[in-house]
Amino acid sequence: MSPRTRTQLFLISALGLATIFTWGFRNLPPIGDYRGPYGNLISQVAVYERHTTDVVNSINYDYRACDTLGEEFILFASVLGVLLIFRPSTSSNEARNNQKNKSEKRQPWVEDQLPVSDSLRVGMMAMAGLMIVFGVYIVVHGQLTPGGGFQGGVILSSVPLVVYLSGNVKAFDRIVSASSIKFAECCGAAAYAIIGISALFFGTHFLTNIVPLGATGDPFSSGTIAIISICVGLEVSGAFVVLMEVYLREVIDERLGKKS
Amino acid sequence: MTITTLIPLPIANPLIAAAFIALTGNWIGRRASDSIAIASAGANLIFALLILRGTWYHPYVYWFGNWWPRSNNVVLGICFSIDAIGAALAVLVSLLTTAALIFSWKIFNDTENHLQPLMLIFMAAMCGFSYTGDLFNLFVFFELMSVSAFALCGLKTLEPAPLQGAFNFAVVNTIGAFMILIGIGLLYARTGALNFAEVGRSLGTRSDALVLVAFLLISVGYFAKAAIVPFHFWLADAHSVAPTPVCVLFSGIMVELGIYAVARIYWTIFRAPLASHAPELRNILLVIAAVTSLLGGFMCYVEHHLKRLLAFSTISHAGLMLAGVGLLTSKALAGFVIYVLSHGLIKGGLFLCAGIILHRLQKIGESHLHGRGRGMWFTASLFILGAMGLAASGPFGTLLGENMISEAAKEVGQGWFAYIFMFVEIVTGAAVLRATFRIFFGWGKPAPTDKSSQVDEAPETKQGGGTPALMFLPAAALILLGICISGMPQLRSIAHANAELFINQTSYASSVLNNLQLAAPEPIESGPLTASIIRCLTAGLLAFLMAFATVFRDRLGMALSFTRRLELGNSLLRQVHSGHPGDYVAWLTFGTALLGGVFVWFLR
Amino acid sequence: MILAHVPYFVAAWIFLWGLYGIVTSKNLVHQVICLAIVQTSTYVLLLAVGFKTGGTAPVFADIPVGTVVVDPLVQALMLTDVVVEATVMALLLSMVVKANELVGTIDPEELKIMQG
Repeated sequence: MSPRTRTQLFLISALGLATIFTWGFRNLPPIGDYRGPYGNLISQVAVYERHTTDVVNSINYDYRACDTLGEEFILFASVLGVLLIFRPSTSSNEARNNQKNKSEKRQPWVEDQLPVSDSLRVGMMAMAGLMIVFGVYIVVHGQLTPGGGFQGGVILSSVPLVVYLSGNVKAFDRIVSASSIKFAECCGAAAYAIIGISALFFGTHFLTNIVPLGATGDPFSSGTIAIISICVGLEVSGAFVVLMEVYLREVIDERLGKKS
Repeated sequence: MTITTLIPLPIANPLIAAAFIALTGNWIGRRASDSIAIASAGANLIFALLILRGTWYHPYVYWFGNWWPRSNNVVLGICFSIDAIGAALAVLVSLLTTAALIFSWKIFNDTENHLQPLMLIFMAAMCGFSYTGDLFNLFVFFELMSVSAFALCGLKTLEPAPLQGAFNFAVVNTIGAFMILIGIGLLYARTGALNFAEVGRSLGTRSDALVLVAFLLISVGYFAKAAIVPFHFWLADAHSVAPTPVCVLFSGIMVELGIYAVARIYWTIFRAPLASHAPELRNILLVIAAVTSLLGGFMCYVEHHLKRLLAFSTISHAGLMLAGVGLLTSKALAGFVIYVLSHGLIKGGLFLCAGIILHRLQKIGESHLHGRGRGMWFTASLFILGAMGLAASGPFGTLLGENMISEAAKEVGQGWFAYIFMFVEIVTGAAVLRATFRIFFGWGKPAPTDKSSQVDEAPETKQGGGTPALMFLPAAALILLGICISGMPQLRSIAHANAELFINQTSYASSVLNNLQLAAPEPIESGPLTASIIRCLTAGLLAFLMAFATVFRDRLGMALSFTRRLELGNSLLRQVHSGHPGDYVAWLTFGTALLGGVFVWFLR
Repeated sequence: MILAHVPYFVAAWIFLWGLYGIVTSKNLVHQVICLAIVQTSTYVLLLAVGFKTGGTAPVFADIPVGTVVVDPLVQALMLTDVVVEATVMALLLSMVVKANELVGTIDPEELKIMQG
């Protein structure tokens, strides 16, 4: 179809769809009028049943833990997919060499430091340490305050990026190529399912919270919620660092003068 | 170990194995990774079979984390509510994945260790999808299934076509997923719950705009996965570029699960509000099913790329399966289940045979392969058996499915659908037979070349001498199972009884929310097969004649020129399947708006 | 009153606008970003559904149990979705990058290899 026909078809359909949405959404309860039983009930019982003060994380890692297991593996599968698509193969190497030969006239960047300003370099290096501490704090305190594995994992995974922005490409390369990243990611993913299965050995259902719950407000409370949160944090941070490495591999190799 | 302990294993076992292979694949080598993957899939098959045997006596309700419903029937946790139908689908998933993994033992030497984990995650997601009893859990497994499918589809990165196919697939399916999520949000706003049984109970019998829009969005999202017209454009692109074992899973079970989801959601949630308009809904769904079948069948016949041909035949059969669900009776639903099982096995076997052709002859376009398959007698016989299975003319499970769906259609006064069935059987059977005649026997002139068959697939393996047993045995096993399934005693009666249980909304809600243990369903008498046998054998004969006529049209004289025109196809229709993602999204929006308009007009 | 339903209409608007972007796009990367925009419409809708007037965050670290809080379930659904969306978009973008490497273009019009 020509672009014009496509746009016309879409605009007519979108108009119809907009009318249908308006007609349907009018019957939603007005904003602010939440009536459903789920939210009300869980806000009352989660703290007592699970000794956790963050109700959102207790839903994610306990009441509806199976959903989070699935979501974590969506992340895992996407990263595997990116690795699969970017895997080295002979023809892609040829294509890259062709493109490189074309741009041979450009000055090769054989230096392991990007030309950044001193304030950026110092600032980012200071940030890196702070961010690691902050990320670990968020992951470990998921059951007490807003946070948990997903958010903390994302913060932790942006630490290598900060190192890259500070100009130190060699350090970035060393961090992201470490084999422990892949190890953390896969172990984090598998550990969630293994924790679930371990509940089967105690005679209860999958993903039951079998570890002692501890006192509310204590960092070591809420049983498997904290443990699962840490595993998810490992997996998410590992996954994003792997993604960064895959996407930036060509740039890093070029900067460090390595042959691809 | 009771059945209850086994229930989470079909989900957990492949996920752990996938993480393990992803971690250690580089050290333990290709063969070990393959073996672990096949072992995990085989274990899943055993678990799924045991669970199926358990559900023979009564359905299971399994609460994750031991979060049973509260006394006021509020559900805080997630449950798996497994009946025989869901369990049977999970068995099909595991079986097809095991066959696909055995087939891929010999191929893909450069995927390092990423293919097997993705296939295992795909399998786990589809098993969870068949078992679950929670709206958002269904959505999560849908997303997991989709993401692993996108990655597997774009596996062959040596040429740009797979990436385009995977991208189109991803865009259309992701938008479908977002529509489902909005529909779930609407239902949650109205009922405050996510469990099928609880939402069904809370929704009651009142139908208003919100309920209709939620039903529209959820149906459209799952129809996009199920490749119902006009949401079907991605399927042909994805199949023509995905590797063979992955196509087996796509056509064999992934597409059918979309229709299953709509059936499950309708019967547990929307049956009561839409009960007063059930006849109109039935007509709407039947029309959509008929259009899908006709379009799929027509496009199937004009294709000359083997995998694309089989993909369009899947679209055509998906229309038939939608009719099984859309007739809104238990008999038709039973026919749907039998048809899914047998079609999945036969289509899976046919795709594996196409993979064997790609391995032996290194090409997949019908025009390039003319006559080069002479001597591959075993594969040729599997192809012919598969074609007869698609045409349901013989002792195949598809015959039983056709019988139940057509009888059910006649019972509600829509007997014309039996003719759509016959059309699909004739056209799809003839297409596969035509390909067999040209490739394996070398009859007639070579097929006309068209743009899509020129996009040939890179061979997945180095050219081999004979057909390796590891490729041939899974293909033969799948097609033979498609035959054996019809030999199961009282299959139709048992399926009908379980379908009665499936559509019973109140007993479902009681079993989930009130922990009422349901008794095993009594088999229901099924009618004679004679009318179906006559129809299907006629269809098979006509399929043979049509294939002969196409192949030998020059010798038979141009009085049969319509086959030539049919084969070259309506160029407008082919242009519409353009490969541009913006086109597909425009059609998706158009289809949603049209379906929405129809719902508003008839179901208000 | 119509004002009480504005967030829902905003969600619908974003949804359709994102779809428009995908349909009229001439750049595959742009299409992926528009897909992310379509996803944000689902976030807006779900969070609007869970909102309670006068409610605060459902974290009881410093408030007693029993104070009015917004619905925690939709927040739980959303927070995993946000992180997962990033990786799914990464997967789609990897397909675009690889296609560009092989063909040299990211215009879907020129990339229409599989017609018919």
